Amino acid sequence: MQTLNTTPGGFLKKNRYTLIVLLILACVAAWMLQERYLSMILDYICIYTIAVTGLDILFGYTGQVSFGQAGFYAIGAYTSTLLSINLGIPPILSILLGAALALLFGILIAFPASRLVKHFLSLLTIAFGQMVYTYIVGAAWLTRGPSGITGIPKVSLFGYTFKGYQSYFWLVLVAVVLVLLMKRNIINSRVGRAFIAVRENPHAAAGMGINVAKYKIMAFGISAFLAGLAGAFYAHMVGFISPDTFTSTQSNMFMTMLLFGGIATISGSLIGAAIITVITELLQSFASAQTLVYAGFILVVLFFLPNGVVGMWDKARAMFLKKRLGKKEVAS
Amino acid sequence: MLLTLVIGALMLGSIYGLVGMGYGLIYKASGLMSLAQGDMLMIGAFLGLTFYKILGLPFIVSLLLVMVIMFALGMFIERVLVTSLLAKGAQTVYVILCTIAISMLLQNGAMFAWGSNVMQFPSIFGVSSVNILGYEILPERLLALGVGIVCMLALHFFMQKSKFGTSMRAAAQDEMAASTLGINVPRTKGAAWGIASMLAGSIGVVVGPIFGVYTAMGSLIGQKAFASAVVGGYGNMYGAIVGGIFFGFVETFVSAYVTSLYKDFISFAILIIVMIFMPTGLFKEQVME
Repeated sequence: MQTLNTTPGGFLKKNRYTLIVLLILACVAAWMLQERYLSMILDYICIYTIAVTGLDILFGYTGQVSFGQAGFYAIGAYTSTLLSINLGIPPILSILLGAALALLFGILIAFPASRLVKHFLSLLTIAFGQMVYTYIVGAAWLTRGPSGITGIPKVSLFGYTFKGYQSYFWLVLVAVVLVLLMKRNIINSRVGRAFIAVRENPHAAAGMGINVAKYKIMAFGISAFLAGLAGAFYAHMVGFISPDTFTSTQSNMFMTMLLFGGIATISGSLIGAAIITVITELLQSFASAQTLVYAGFILVVLFFLPNGVVGMWDKARAMFLKKRLGKKEVAS
Repeated sequence: MLLTLVIGALMLGSIYGLVGMGYGLIYKASGLMSLAQGDMLMIGAFLGLTFYKILGLPFIVSLLLVMVIMFALGMFIERVLVTSLLAKGAQTVYVILCTIAISMLLQNGAMFAWGSNVMQFPSIFGVSSVNILGYEILPERLLALGVGIVCMLALHFFMQKSKFGTSMRAAAQDEMAASTLGINVPRTKGAAWGIASMLAGSIGVVVGPIFGVYTAMGSLIGQKAFASAVVGGYGNMYGAIVGGIFFGFVETFVSAYVTSLYKDFISFAILIIVMIFMPTGLFKEQVME
C-alpha cells in the first residue's frame, strides 16, 4: 500500500480529491465567516467534531459504546466555567483543566465499564450521564441549578480576546485540526492497531498479548477528554450554560452525528457533525420536531446507510472506478 | 406518616418492578435490550387518557384496550424493526440505538398528538382519599399497587402454567432445541416484546392519575426500571420486582428524610455501584462477557 511521494507532483496527484474538497471547504467557510450567524454554525460544527471524534475512537475503533457523552461534555463545560469565574483562571487554561477532569472521570468510569458487555455498558454510560445531569440540576450552590450560569469570560490568548463568533472560529479550527491529526496518528500507531484488535475480537487480542482492559480504559479516557474539551469550548463560546444542554438528547445527537458521518473513519466525524448541525439549524423553525429528526436520521443510518455518508461515498467511488476499469478492458 | 410512605414506596416499587420485568422478559427471550420501555408507559398513559377522558369509556375497558394496543405495538417493533435489523447482521448496539430512536419517535409523536402540556387524568373513583388505619391515602395509589400485583401474578402463572408461557421459557433457554421441538421461536420473541410493552402500557394508565400525563413522564421511570432490573439481576423477572421495591423504598425514604433534590442522583449512583461491585445482581444472573 505504501508508496513514496518524493515529488510534490506525486503528492498532489495522489491526494488531488482531498485537496479539491479541502479547497471547496475553505471557500465555503470563508463565505460563511462573513456573517455572524453563519460563523456560529461553523463554530458549532468544530466543537461537535471534537466531541464526535472522541466518540469515534471509543465506539468506531475500540467497539465500546457510550450513551453518556453529554456527561463528559457537561463536566468540561462546568469545570472550565467555574474555574474561570470563581478562581479567575485564564479560560485557555481552564478549558484544558475542564478536559482533564473529564478525562479523570472517563478513566474512573472505564475501570468497571471495561469489564461489562455491550448492553450493560450502554446502561452504565446512560446512568453516568443522568447522574451528571441530576447533579448539575441539584447542586445549585455550585452550578446555580436549572437557571444556569451567565457571563462566562471569553478566551484570550497573548493579549488577544476571541470575542465574536468569527474570531472564535480560528481558535476551534486549530483545535479541530490538532484533534483530527492526533486521531490519525493514534489510529496509525501501535495503540490504534490495539484498539482495532480489541474491537474485532477481544479474546484474540488478549491472546496476542494486548492488555485489553488497558486499551479500553485508554479509549474511554480519550473520548472523555475530547468530550470535555468540546464542552469547555462550547461554554466559552456561548457565554451561558444551563443543564438543558446536557441531557441525554445531546448524547444521542453525538451518536447520530457519528453514525451518519460514518464510524471508524478520519473524516466521518467532521462530515456527520457538519451535516447534522446544518440540518438542525435549517429546521430551527420546527424546533419541536428536533428529536424526531434525530430519530429519523438514526433509523435511516441503521436501515439504509450502515457505514454512514463516508461509506456511501466510498461505495459510489468504487462503483465509478469499476465502471471506468470495465470500459478500459472493453476498449483494449 | 410512615404507612403513607410505605404505601407510596410499594406503589413506586410495583411500577418500577413491572416495567423492569419487561426489560427482563425481552432480555431473556431475545438477548436484546429495549430502551423504549419508559416511553411505552407514556404512550399507554396517553392512550388510557384518550379512551377514558375523551371517549368516555369505562376505566376497565380503556385499560384492556390499552393493553391490546400496546401488545400489538411491542410485537410490531420486534417483528418488523428489530428482526429486519438483525437480518442485516447488525450488532446488538445497533438494536439498542434503534430502540433509542423509537423512544424519541414516541416522545415527539406523543407531543404532536397530545401537546406538550401536562394533562390531568381524571380521578377514577370519585373519592379523594380512603381511610386506612386513620391515614388518608389516595385510592389511585392503591389501584396502582393492585394492578402491579395482579399483573405480576398473572405473568407468573402465564409463564409457569400455560403452554405458551412454557414454550416462551423453553425458547429463552435454548432457541435451537426449542425450535426442533416445534416451538415457533420468532413468535415467542415477538410475544415477549409485546408482553413487555403491554405491562409498561397498563402501568402507564394507572400512574396517569397520580403523576399526571406528559411526554417526558416515561424516560425517568424507564431508567429507574432498568436500574431495578439490574439490581435484581438482569433477565430475572422476580429480581426486577425486588429491585423495583428496593428503589421504591430508597427514593421515597431519601426524599422524605434526607433530600428530595438528589433522590435521582442517589438512585443512579446505587445503580453504578451495583454494576461495579455486583454486576450479577441479587439473583446472580449471568451478565459478564
